Amino acid sequence: MTGGDKVEAYAQAILTIARAEGVVGAVEDDLFRFARTLQGSDALRNALTDPSLPAERRVAVVEELTGGKALNLSTAVLGMLVGAGRVNDLGDVADRVVALAAAERERDVAEVRSAIELTDDQIRRLAESLGRATGKTVDVKVVVDPSVLGGLVAQIGDTVIDGTVRTRLDQMKAQL
Amino acid sequence: MRIRRILCAGLLVVGGVVAVAPAAYASSPKDHGKELYECVEKAVEEHPEALKGDAEGFENALDDCKKAKSLLTPALPEIIWGGLAFLIVLVVLMKFAFPALKKGLKDRTEKIQGDLDAASRAREDAEAEAAQYRSQIGDARSEASTIIEDARADAERIRREVVERAEAEAADVKARAAEDVRLAQERAMSDLRSQVADISIGLAEKVVERNLDRATQEALVESFIDSVGNGPR
Repeated sequence: MTGGDKVEAYAQAILTIARAEGVVGAVEDDLFRFARTLQGSDALRNALTDPSLPAERRVAVVEELTGGKALNLSTAVLGMLVGAGRVNDLGDVADRVVALAAAERERDVAEVRSAIELTDDQIRRLAESLGRATGKTVDVKVVVDPSVLGGLVAQIGDTVIDGTVRTRLDQMKAQL
Repeated sequence: MRIRRILCAGLLVVGGVVAVAPAAYASSPKDHGKELYECVEKAVEEHPEALKGDAEGFENALDDCKKAKSLLTPALPEIIWGGLAFLIVLVVLMKFAFPALKKGLKDRTEKIQGDLDAASRAREDAEAEAAQYRSQIGDARSEASTIIEDARADAERIRREVVERAEAEAADVKARAAEDVRLAQERAMSDLRSQVADISIGLAEKVVERNLDRATQEALVESFIDSVGNGPR
């Protein structure tokens, strides 16, 4: 089994469990956020991939991070992946779970990066706006990323809609 | 030819003498005895001392009387014997000496003519050789001139090539140096612009971060939502 097959198998298994529990949306949100947090933190990634740490300790780190913020199922799934040594595949698994869930809802996933947390109303209106702009029905997954400084950047498949202050500063720098 | 003419003239002179002399004697033999008698008589008269025993002067005078009076009028026997001797000598000369002399002269003439011809041929050969030498000298001078001209042309061409190559190399070095200077300036300007941009953007980021409060962030989000919903960005 190749790496891609394993990612697909994990994603299908997680989605099956979440579907059985009726918490597909929450699980995919928890996985997505944890994957993006892991992607933006080298220290966390190093801790979870440190072979000198016992698997129990690494799983405990995950539980400490997600405790009270995510579903128990999500914490269990993340602990399983970390304990199985699939930390490097965690981002791909989360993306695949989100994509499969969106496909089941016949929706596309819009990954939105924002410098601040968005309210549910903002997320709903943003989904509507992105749907009008792309002609698709989209689910918005928000990633809080202070590096964008301000504004939002949304990626739907290969389409990127960028309205961040960071990008405007980069454009100014390029012009200079 | 010349010798033959001389011989003919000599024979005519001798013949003339022989023809005249007998005529002179034949015309007056008695006159000849009378003259001898008168000469003896005159000697006796002029030398009376001969009768006294001193006959020397008288004998001399007699001898003079016996001698011929002139070369053109010798005694007949002298003419005959002289003529015979002359003829004998002439025949002997014509028989033996003249052919040898003639042959010698002819050989000498031929030798001289041959020498003259040889000298003429030698002179012609020498002139031809001299002309050939002059021609060769002219050719050599022409060739030398050509070689010198070629050498000068080669030297000039080499000098021109060296100068052109040196000028090209100098121009190339100058162009490379100018290009290096230009690139260095561009790099410096680019670095300067980059540093200015970095500093400016850094300052701008600080200003933006300082001014991006919650309300501004919310406004940016609302603006993004509105702008995306109103049309493609």
